Amino acid sequence: MTGPALHRVRVPRGTVPSVMVGSDVGPDQVLGLHRRASPAVRVQLATRLRVRPDAVAALLLVRPGTRLAEGDAIARGPDGREARAPTGGLLLGVSAIDGTALLAPLGPEEPVIGHVHGRIRAVEDGAITVEVPGALVRGVGGTGEAVHGELVVAVHDPGEELRAAAIDVGATGKILVGGSRASAETLTRARAMGVAGIVLGGVLDKELRDFEAIQRRRREVGGLAGAFGVLLLEGFGKVGIDPQRFGWFKAHAGRMASLFGADGLLYVYDAEPAPGRRTLPRVGERVIAHRRPFQGRAGVLVAELDDLHATPSGIATRMGLVRFEDGRLAPVPLANLEATLPVPPSA
Amino acid sequence: MTMEGPVAGLLRSPSERPGPAAELSLLVDVGSAWTKAVVVARARGRWRIAGHAAQPSAWGEEELVNALVARLAEGADRRVADRLAELLGTAPRIACHTPRRAGRIGLAAVSAELSGASARRAAESAGWMVAEAATADDGRSLVDRLSALQAADVDAWLLAGGFDDGRADQALEMAGLVAAARGASRTPVLWAGSAVLADEVAALFEPGALQAVANPRPSATEEDLVPLRHTLEGLLQQLVEPGGVRQLTPVSFRRAVAELARSTERRVLGVDLGARYASWVLADADGTAESRVFAEGGLSASSLVGPGGPARLARLLPLAIDELAVADALQNLRARPGTLPQTEDELAIMHGAARQLLAQGAADEGAISGIDLLIGSGRTLAAAPRPGQAAQLLLDGVRPLGVTELAIDAAGALPPLGALDDAEIREGMGMLRDDLLTPLGAAVVCRGGHPGQVAMRVTVHRAGWPTTGPVELRSGQLQLLPLGRGQSAELEIELEAGVTLGGPRRARRAQVTVTGGALGLILDAREVPLSMPRRADDRRAVLAGWRDAFAREPSAPPPGDQA
Repeated sequence: MTGPALHRVRVPRGTVPSVMVGSDVGPDQVLGLHRRASPAVRVQLATRLRVRPDAVAALLLVRPGTRLAEGDAIARGPDGREARAPTGGLLLGVSAIDGTALLAPLGPEEPVIGHVHGRIRAVEDGAITVEVPGALVRGVGGTGEAVHGELVVAVHDPGEELRAAAIDVGATGKILVGGSRASAETLTRARAMGVAGIVLGGVLDKELRDFEAIQRRRREVGGLAGAFGVLLLEGFGKVGIDPQRFGWFKAHAGRMASLFGADGLLYVYDAEPAPGRRTLPRVGERVIAHRRPFQGRAGVLVAELDDLHATPSGIATRMGLVRFEDGRLAPVPLANLEATLPVPPSA
Repeated sequence: MTMEGPVAGLLRSPSERPGPAAELSLLVDVGSAWTKAVVVARARGRWRIAGHAAQPSAWGEEELVNALVARLAEGADRRVADRLAELLGTAPRIACHTPRRAGRIGLAAVSAELSGASARRAAESAGWMVAEAATADDGRSLVDRLSALQAADVDAWLLAGGFDDGRADQALEMAGLVAAARGASRTPVLWAGSAVLADEVAALFEPGALQAVANPRPSATEEDLVPLRHTLEGLLQQLVEPGGVRQLTPVSFRRAVAELARSTERRVLGVDLGARYASWVLADADGTAESRVFAEGGLSASSLVGPGGPARLARLLPLAIDELAVADALQNLRARPGTLPQTEDELAIMHGAARQLLAQGAADEGAISGIDLLIGSGRTLAAAPRPGQAAQLLLDGVRPLGVTELAIDAAGALPPLGALDDAEIREGMGMLRDDLLTPLGAAVVCRGGHPGQVAMRVTVHRAGWPTTGPVELRSGQLQLLPLGRGQSAELEIELEAGVTLGGPRRARRAQVTVTGGALGLILDAREVPLSMPRRADDRRAVLAGWRDAFAREPSAPPPGDQA
């Protein structure tokens, strides 16, 4: 069994951390507080210091990027006069043309949530690293924000498409495990119903792009609330979840999970290790095929062919003979196969 | 396929077999998706490429050695056949690798079209990924720009803006924004803007944080990216790969191409198209070379799957494959770059993607002409199932005007050889020169002329053979003539009015000597860049015609065309 994964939570630079190395955090917990800059105000420096505008830069007492409190000195003139910040904020720069400073007042503190459970391992400017004790499932793609919620299996069969009709209010706040595909309509409905995230075997790239475009438009008009993430496990197109993985998800339904769509990661807490994958399968191992025409199909590698053989595309490569679960026997490039490793017995 | 060419001949010829005293070396290029390994053996005093293999990088070294043993076993001397694994395992190796991660840069500039565009091009061609870009005219509020820059995960910042002959207050404001977003981090900052602002910008950061570079846009009409690109290359190597710069494939590929150009006294363009990276190296006969490295320029490039990307690519395929299938295939290639296109459709999509990436790179380079040798490297180009496919990818993508010999680095030996140190690279490449490249043939590419009318006439003289031609080539036409590997021919080229080979002078006649290859002599009077019919059926027919032309055995023109 592998050790806990390290997850790096990106936080905006300037975030004041509210956790320390070694502290335990939950998915809902605030990791830090960040204050966004508000529209900047111009502070007259040249006039106050009675100098030419282009001389102001040399008289600065603080550099751009400095966080100033109300009344802090920004610059001092040759005669000792000082120009002070009329309000607290972030100094963005000075203009040599009009001799003003650009000061962005800081807005209210906003919490930065990690959406992940674990122990803090490192706190840096720009990132907080968390040691996550959950089982890690890596996908091949995804979209959306970090979310967390209870894992719910929403289809009966790993090859089944997740339909919009299958999503109701009971799914609010949950991470749904779908099947081989979900349309843009299904994803849009899921988000509207407050679903936290969806795990799919495959999705058509076009559907995902349509969904993202809808979300972008809604964000622009200000009608988007809450976070939502999609994780893709096997590939693009209509691709079912590997039955072995699907069985593992069913066995862990009801557990808390964290989904990071854009990073292609899913952590499931209090869980047995997820079924693994290994490149270069050996004869006799259960395999899953990638790329068409067998994408997403599982079978057993029954032989490795001697020498190099040409694929229908003409590429000469090492090939394996796979007995697929539907009974077909077909040669497949070894590079397109992964061994599906059995779930290790619990300790 | 990997055993074709001189390698197979070497192994099958008893006189050249590596014997028990044979010395072996391994050349290894570990790519982000595939690893290529070449066995170099010395037999009877001469170093030759004895075999090569490629496999997904994830498979590991032991498997690679096994694959090489399998390739070599058939032809190896019986006295060493049983010890091949041991010999390969202990053989000295020269290795290079794709950078483990791309450097991420944050860009702030005044104008998206001028300073921003120049800075972005310089950064992207130096191997950086632009993680966030803010310009004063990007339509965002200052606060939104600041938030975006604060959230960016970057290794360095690049600031640009203002012409050298004047101040640009907006450039200072953008620099101040970066200073604010950068906060307390010690990330290096490059100033590539107005020279007169350099001191003022430096004052915004702690002492020593900022390095000033020559402005890539010194005026509205001038652009010179080279000094900035060189500085960015140096910074990237220092930050992301602090040790063993020579072992980075983009660097070693450049060194190998430069050495090849120097030793053959030819102008060489090398293109290495990988899963993640793409490198372009243009080397002159004196061995000086300029390279452009795109960290996001390989087959996983996001530009291929971005808005409109799959539709654009679907339009350029000779097969009727819908946009949805193209999009999914491209995404699967990105998600699993170590896998192979198993079907003809998927290969067509991958080759279409490669052509598009090459065309993008060529467009950045400006008109490409006067190249003596064009080399394709990387699995997609160098391991294309048929030589005709490789030649078509290079010609359709790069469109090199003039008379150019085409070759592929089939074994993948160039990048590792480029990792040799200065004292050894000349010797190493010299020893293997005959085996390094697989010649595809010579191409004559012209531009201009009127559709359907004669663009050029080419007469081929070969010693001991009857003269071929003059072969008339109409504008838009493509024709292949036989010219075997190693065979030389003298070409007399006569151009019609308005047609050019891209040289500085508008000469109507040219006489050149070329050497053949797997494809022979390719006469190409198609447009530069390629243009295609608007109707889908007509377009596919044209594309299929080109594909078939490259797939056919070259044949002599009908008797009517003979002199």
